[in-house]
Amino acid sequence: MLRESYTAIVERSEELRGSFATEPYECGWAGEAIFFVRILERVGNIEGVTLDVQISPDGIRWCDEGTAITLGEEEVAFGKVAHFGNWLRLSGRLPDGASMRAIIALSLKA
Amino acid sequence: MQEHSRAILNADPSLSRFDPLPRIIYHDDFNRGLRGWVELIGNYEDSLDSMLPQYADMRPPMLSSGTHWDTGTHGAMQGTYSMKLATRAKAGDISVSIKRVTWRHKGPVRLEAYFTFKPEASELQLSVDDVRAVGVLFDLQDEAYRWMPHWRYLNALEGEPVRSWQFKREREPFHDIGGRAETVSHFHLAPTGWENVPDSGQILCYNEVATKFNWYYLRMDVDLASRQITHLQCNDRVHDVTGVGPMMIPAMPNLDCMLNLAFWVETDVDKRAFLYVDSVLLSGEW
Repeated sequence: MLRESYTAIVERSEELRGSFATEPYECGWAGEAIFFVRILERVGNIEGVTLDVQISPDGIRWCDEGTAITLGEEEVAFGKVAHFGNWLRLSGRLPDGASMRAIIALSLKA
Repeated sequence: MQEHSRAILNADPSLSRFDPLPRIIYHDDFNRGLRGWVELIGNYEDSLDSMLPQYADMRPPMLSSGTHWDTGTHGAMQGTYSMKLATRAKAGDISVSIKRVTWRHKGPVRLEAYFTFKPEASELQLSVDDVRAVGVLFDLQDEAYRWMPHWRYLNALEGEPVRSWQFKREREPFHDIGGRAETVSHFHLAPTGWENVPDSGQILCYNEVATKFNWYYLRMDVDLASRQITHLQCNDRVHDVTGVGPMMIPAMPNLDCMLNLAFWVETDVDKRAFLYVDSVLLSGEW
């Protein structure tokens, strides 16, 4: 059987600033996931900022899974997770005065 | 349909609940993936910023097991997974998913689907008026016209229950996108211009809390030859299509034989609204 896969664009070019989290994404069918963060535009210094992968029992309440993505100079950063239950999202906080636009892709595979 | 054809359909539990025309164009059971359904995005040129802002964030569909904080996994009507569309938690937000194919014969086409909709179960309240609308549209083109039948169930509007079906034939203005005069865009799902389908009040089985799903049957027939909507049905109610028409637009470049189908959900409050589609069957007669 071919392995099912799907990439969802969970954030696309909206301006992110302060504390933010991507929308809940249901993906209990998948066994592995990669969050790709492609930065389109950055304002202020966001190097060293970490984004936390979060999991949830119900899509409403969230906790850190333990995987973090550290933003650097590169256009694309990523974090890999497996064994994550039914929901995933990415949460972070940008420093005061900083913002970014990014395409955040959630690549899922059964 | 001929007797032996019906017998073959009845032998397959995933097909026996449908009444397709002789040719099945696609049958999407979301236990087998998202099967070509994708987030709708607006047209753009050079930069995403050139897109009409209403199209910027239509949200990606997902495969849902219908899992809730109180009872766990509800599953779908058949099997575990349905296609889920989710808005953001902002009144008026819309999520739209689309599947794009083309037609090979200009004749009758029938959409059938099993679906349900719910608000996010973030409050311990009935929440029956939290979802504003769910809808379905065809986006079609032949040699003369691009025509777009739109049909929605207006559940509630600004906190007031409505519970009836509407259609939209009023066109929204086209805007040039980018600077090369190659691309235009129009936001056809704008809240303006909706008209009532005659005598279309219909109470659906919402049930009593946000985490209980009951699935509904939907059928919409169009005729590609006459450019008419010929049948609208939800569960046991067949609605009167007298005077119900599509948006009509002169044929546009690069859309020949287009046969697109889209579902959407809109929230009435600052809470996520969810549309769940168990399965979709698109059939034609040729």
